[in-house]
Amino acid sequence: MLRTRIFPRTTHGRVFLAIFAICGLLVVAGTSDWRPVGLHQGYAPVQPIDYSHRLHAGELQVDCLYCHHGARTSKHAGIPATSICMNCHTTVSAGFDTTLAERAKALSEGREPKRIVSPEIAKIYAAMGLDEDLEPNDVGPRPIPWIRVHNLPDFVAFDHSVHVTRGLACAECHGPVQSMERVHQSRDLSMGWCVNCHRSHGVEASMGVSPDHVKLDPSQHVSTDCAACHY
Amino acid sequence: MPTSRKTDWYRSPNECASDTPCESAEFPYPTPADKGVDRRAFLRLVGFSFAAAGVTACSRGPAQTALTELVAREGIIPGRAYWIATTSWADGSGGGVLVRCRDGRPVKLEGNPAHPLNRGGLTASTQASVLSLYDDHRFDGPRLDGHSTSWAAVDEAMRTKIAAITAAGGSVRVLTSTVTGPSTRAWIERFLTSVPDGRHIAYDALSCSALLDAHAEAYGVRALPRYDLSAARVLAVFDADPLGTWISPAEYSAGYAAARSPETHDNHAMSRHWQFEGRMSLTGTRADRRVRTAPWETTPALAQLAATLAARAGVELPGPAPKIDALRPAVRDALEDSATELWANRRDALVLCGSNDRDAQRLTCWVNHLLSNKGRTWDLDAPSQQRLGSDADVEALRQELLAGDVDLLLTAGCNPAYDIPGFADAVSAAATHVSLASLEDETSYRATIVCPEPHELESWGDAEPHSGLYCTTQPTVPPLRNTRSLRATLARWTGDERDDRDLLKDHWRDHLSNRRASQTEPFDGWFDSVLERGFVQLAPSPSTPPGLFDPTQAAGALQRAGRGQSAPAEGTLRAVLFPTVGILDGRGAHNPWLQELPDPVAKTTWDNHASLSPATAETLGIRDGDMVLIAVVTDDGSNDTTRPTLELPVLVQPGQDEGIVAVALGYGRMGTDRFTDIGPEWIEAIPTVRPGDTVGVNAAPLLHFSNGAFAPDALNVRLTPTGKRRPLASTQDHHSLAVPAHLAPPRGAVRDAVHLITLPELNDDHTYAPDDGHGTSTELWADDHEPRGHQWGMAIDLTACTGCSACVIGCQAENNIPVVGRDEVQRHREMSWLRVDRYYSDRSDLGPGEVDVVHQPLMCQHCAHAPCETVCPVLATMHSNEGLNTQVYNRCVGTRYCANNCPYKTRRFNWFEYSKPDRMQNMVLNPDVTIRSRGVMEKCSMCLQRIQEGKAEARRRGVPLKDGDIKTACQQSCPTEAIVFGDLSDPESRISKQVASTRAYTVLEELNVKPGVRYLADVRNRPGEEG
Repeated sequence: MLRTRIFPRTTHGRVFLAIFAICGLLVVAGTSDWRPVGLHQGYAPVQPIDYSHRLHAGELQVDCLYCHHGARTSKHAGIPATSICMNCHTTVSAGFDTTLAERAKALSEGREPKRIVSPEIAKIYAAMGLDEDLEPNDVGPRPIPWIRVHNLPDFVAFDHSVHVTRGLACAECHGPVQSMERVHQSRDLSMGWCVNCHRSHGVEASMGVSPDHVKLDPSQHVSTDCAACHY
Repeated sequence: MPTSRKTDWYRSPNECASDTPCESAEFPYPTPADKGVDRRAFLRLVGFSFAAAGVTACSRGPAQTALTELVAREGIIPGRAYWIATTSWADGSGGGVLVRCRDGRPVKLEGNPAHPLNRGGLTASTQASVLSLYDDHRFDGPRLDGHSTSWAAVDEAMRTKIAAITAAGGSVRVLTSTVTGPSTRAWIERFLTSVPDGRHIAYDALSCSALLDAHAEAYGVRALPRYDLSAARVLAVFDADPLGTWISPAEYSAGYAAARSPETHDNHAMSRHWQFEGRMSLTGTRADRRVRTAPWETTPALAQLAATLAARAGVELPGPAPKIDALRPAVRDALEDSATELWANRRDALVLCGSNDRDAQRLTCWVNHLLSNKGRTWDLDAPSQQRLGSDADVEALRQELLAGDVDLLLTAGCNPAYDIPGFADAVSAAATHVSLASLEDETSYRATIVCPEPHELESWGDAEPHSGLYCTTQPTVPPLRNTRSLRATLARWTGDERDDRDLLKDHWRDHLSNRRASQTEPFDGWFDSVLERGFVQLAPSPSTPPGLFDPTQAAGALQRAGRGQSAPAEGTLRAVLFPTVGILDGRGAHNPWLQELPDPVAKTTWDNHASLSPATAETLGIRDGDMVLIAVVTDDGSNDTTRPTLELPVLVQPGQDEGIVAVALGYGRMGTDRFTDIGPEWIEAIPTVRPGDTVGVNAAPLLHFSNGAFAPDALNVRLTPTGKRRPLASTQDHHSLAVPAHLAPPRGAVRDAVHLITLPELNDDHTYAPDDGHGTSTELWADDHEPRGHQWGMAIDLTACTGCSACVIGCQAENNIPVVGRDEVQRHREMSWLRVDRYYSDRSDLGPGEVDVVHQPLMCQHCAHAPCETVCPVLATMHSNEGLNTQVYNRCVGTRYCANNCPYKTRRFNWFEYSKPDRMQNMVLNPDVTIRSRGVMEKCSMCLQRIQEGKAEARRRGVPLKDGDIKTACQQSCPTEAIVFGDLSDPESRISKQVASTRAYTVLEELNVKPGVRYLADVRNRPGEEG
């Protein structure tokens, strides 16, 4: 198909080759954040609300599935609807310490304690279209633009429910979220990382699944078929 | 055991003879490789690729925000599909639909298996209607004199107008298509009683007016019989397409297939199907015996049949026996034979007639009466209401409008200015015209006021497709546009401010709930349960019961049938207008899926055409793609200047009668130039339609009002070739399985992709045994592919398949298959994963020009020895342990080796980035399926996402997966259940039983690729001499 040599064996050709290679290196070097394409391990974006998983999941021991209930039944664990925040934050409007301090101050001053609303929780109210006294505000509801931390490419289909219902702990993939002030991507979530786990967890492997369950349907093996995730 | 008869099947009459010979058909345009690449070109390409890769690859993607719901809705979990039962009139039949919704929006329509009408099947046009929901050309808010306005302003203007009309005693006309919804009907009535001279006129663009009128004369009730094709042992169809477009295709197809499955009856009995027609209809392609009958022969043929049956029944003819000489001998003989068969099965026979000629319908009534099949194969006690329109009424309205006698015309759910010849002027003649269209069309564009109606999927409603079968329509998504239903609009104008849901619910409370069997259940709970199911069977509203058969009119028709029917004069042809499966009467014209759906018979896309028989085309010296002018001629042979001349490309249609030219209706719709840039943008792109032009040409002006109905086949036309050419975007030659002549093996290249056998061959003689290839059973990958768990497979019953192409649209909706536009289709780049190959075989032994037709849905065959897998250099196509051939998009580098090596030609390459951001239609995309990007190969995955979802659901619930839990998209929507998917490793599964059938074979068995898809031979109920 090629009618001539691409790089003639002359000085001219070698110079050309060198320029070509240098250009390539420059392009690579120009990208400051050198890492394998697409892996975002450690990614910890600033969220619109300074929400602390350490406080909620760690200190207060709220179950992961309380907010991310989709993880048990759906592909997506889901970012909770604002109404789920409001289940608690209708009454809890500020941090424990601040509330205690205000109560102590009120007691000493001989008055009723004031309702304190922390600026972060006020953002939840604002999202619901409420002011600090939980009355409708003028702006109206506006959903919170959370930023996705764990973001698989579109060509990967990951189903939370099948992993969670087989007893896989959330931390296996998401790391120690209960100790993270701001959530970051703990694992690299690369295909090799997925496949390693799929390889090492055979049908009989202890994933909290009873052997009877497995016997029900032998095809429910942990698959390493491409088709398990790519469609 | 002898093998099956080898037949020369071909897909187009000009196969190997056209200007694109078969050998080069796979690559019709020269590729860069053909031109050769020099050093400079190579360096340019390398430099560009390297730079492009460097620029795009090393950056982190933009941060993705995720907006969550404010208030979690009960039962709706992001990422999980939920289903809503509703009713769709998209194909004019009112079938039950289950709408698959994801994250608050509908993404796919599927048939409701519990619905008594369509029983889980759904036509292509209904399935595609989900795309029309997201049509960004729909009106957003009302318009007054061409300007956007508010509902309050429109209501105020209308109330003033109505008050003025009431004061002056003026006339109000409401023109709609058939309305069956009891609440909507009630509101139309209530509105019309509030004005002094109000009338409601209904018409159907796909008219059954003559059929209704004939029943009114014969039985005293103007009603459409409910036909039960599953009970018909002998079925004779005259000029109707019940499997494709006539009245209720999904319902009829299900019944038809049930009566024709050789396995379900004792002694492999099948119904016998006679088809008398001039053009090649979808139903005609499935006939056991198809008799070419020109339109002018239909009424005489029915007269002859009636006379013969009357003689057998010993019924004395009223008056002398008619002398019927308009029939050709072949038709006469066939009628004699069919009469014998009909008479022998008289209580289980059925005669259908789709002609809009009243005499033909009178005679059909009489024939069915003589066969004493009422109550067995058809029923008038609980009739169908799918068509109620009257052509005579709408013609009378046209006259009234032209005379200036109408003060207020309200059109809803119809497009009369397009459908009815001369109605555009009539619409403009109304003093005030209010249109309730959803798009700007020929009618709403002329309206004074436009009150847009919502799409079915975002509105409340009800329907009664069969008497007593009450169906509900409910929103699946909050309104996407500022619209209001006909019911709510009329309620506002009569001073009722209730919202649409309450209007519906209150009507049901007041008028329908008293008819339910148990009155103890509270209404609210009952109504919710009806909404949940989508339908309820109630006692029908009281109406006049049908009387006894009155033969007076039929006798008159019999006497007339011999006269006044004649072939067109020498040099002229009879124009026959017909709806296509996708576009129907034009309602699908704004839907790109339907525009790109190859017509099941003609295999053309993005155009209508003048269909001619091969003999006629030869006489005229024209071939596919030649432009002709079609001019109506009057009785004296001169051109009719009152009717427009159509300019259309020709398509040669095997099996069509010589005397006719068939033209599809529904094309040439205003605003279809929106598809100008539907395809990819690149330097050689040719727009699908020129700006200001339309897709196809409107043939409706060739409808002729005679005898109280619009006849689609009454005018004679003269064809004049213009010498220009417009090559059709036809897919019939694409992806051929034939071996190119220069590569054919010495023993010849007969490849029987389809097997057609007769019932005796299957039953008595046992002469049919599928080809076992060449005795090779070498295992190519014995050690490599370890089968584990399920082994997925598919079986397609060609006896049940009608070719209706519902599966094609089902697959398109499920798998996010892009539309590529007319130009790309012509370049063989249509993206459909599932195509329906249509094969012809000459049967000159039955008469000149006779053909057999077989339809074959073909998708990736999931070969165990897949030729594509061995040639992929990057292992992007792999075999799964469950027997599937999988395509991994992120690995694919686009060498296209796999497509070249695929013997079935089912792989599709993304030549362009077909997905476009910021389109409202993107909301229809299935979130479970990857959107493929440019440079990637794709193909049928056997709905892998559904398999995974089925398995995941079983895991979540801790139960084993049952046979039938997983249905592929094509299988789910198939009205005839021709497609069966399942686990081959389970001996009790339906698929295992199908595969074990004596009819099962694999396509191109001789290649030993061991496909996972089996076909069941097409069986026709033909005695030996016809076989």
